[in-house]
Amino acid sequence: MSRERRGATEAVYLPLLFLTVALLGGLRVTDRVALVPPPLFALVLGMLMFGVLVRGRVLAPERLMNASRSALENLNGLAVILATFCASTQIFNLMIPESGLPFLLFNVFLFVLLLNTLAGAPDRLSVLRSLAVVVGSAFTLKFIVLAAISDPGGGALKRMLLALLDGITLGTLSQTPLHAATGYVAFATLVLFLAGLAMLPPPLRHSVALIKSDQ
Amino acid sequence: MRDRSVRALGLVVAICYASFIVWLYVRQPQTIAEVTGGLSASVGAYRIDQQAFSDGLAAFRGEQYEAARAAFERADPAEQDARTQFYIGYSYYRSGWGRFYNDDAHFKLGLDRVDKAIGLAPGGRLLVEDPDIAIHNADELRAELTAGLRTEAADLNPMRVFRRRK
Repeated sequence: MSRERRGATEAVYLPLLFLTVALLGGLRVTDRVALVPPPLFALVLGMLMFGVLVRGRVLAPERLMNASRSALENLNGLAVILATFCASTQIFNLMIPESGLPFLLFNVFLFVLLLNTLAGAPDRLSVLRSLAVVVGSAFTLKFIVLAAISDPGGGALKRMLLALLDGITLGTLSQTPLHAATGYVAFATLVLFLAGLAMLPPPLRHSVALIKSDQ
Repeated sequence: MRDRSVRALGLVVAICYASFIVWLYVRQPQTIAEVTGGLSASVGAYRIDQQAFSDGLAAFRGEQYEAARAAFERADPAEQDARTQFYIGYSYYRSGWGRFYNDDAHFKLGLDRVDKAIGLAPGGRLLVEDPDIAIHNADELRAELTAGLRTEAADLNPMRVFRRRK
């Protein structure tokens, strides 16, 4: 990648992309539009995700900030790092259901999953693949499965089954119904986030050349 | 040189965008008019539509509160002007006031607008000099609306029917 193109990616594309993810991560469309700030636990999960990204070499902080770069380049690197953290946090704000039993289960599941990934030694590609699976599964569960369970419409049989399910789970399963637009925006946000992660500059490979003295 | 310019420009744009996002999360605007109005108000460039405000005031004085509210909404689409919000709150108070009982729905809407007016006024203090209204202070209007929403033993006092609308 040319120096200028790398500069544009670091200074413009990546910060704007991750900031857009941070903006859309809290968007909820019901009868009104609301921007929901992340709950405290989303910050914890965001921090763990950040750790996973660094450990898996998806995010290489030394590529973005180091002593050999100019002050401006380091500031651009800092902007990318901060925007990545904000986007990571907002992704959890987006993926985790709002309340009840699903809120608790998603939080615990994602916490354990991230800790497990952090404890291993995954490479960049594995981390990206793993995150795509986690993000995709969470999206399907929240915006398709839980949304269907919480949908107040439908026939009498569906409403009866849902009432039964609600009774069994003491009303902790169903969520506030969201407008269909929320799901589409969420999907676009998750795709943007994964694309942004893939665009992060990879770590430098240090190699040693063995040269015979007579050559 | 070009790389340096791109990097500097990118940094400025990123800082502005991040500030805009924080502002959106704090203010929670609902319409594009509220976004643009809020941004122009934050730099002191927001102006209400004076003609629509005058129309609203005329309708308010003629006791046509629905029409007055429509004109005030048109005058201040971004809901950034404390005085206009005060008048909208006042019109809800007058619409909801009743000799025997008050309309809680109108009073609640009025309370929202008065709270908004207090929030927009410098230092939260809003005085409206208008000889045609009895309440000139936003805090006083707020207290009147809050008292109207409260259910208490005094509500059963038959002398209440002789009280006057402000």
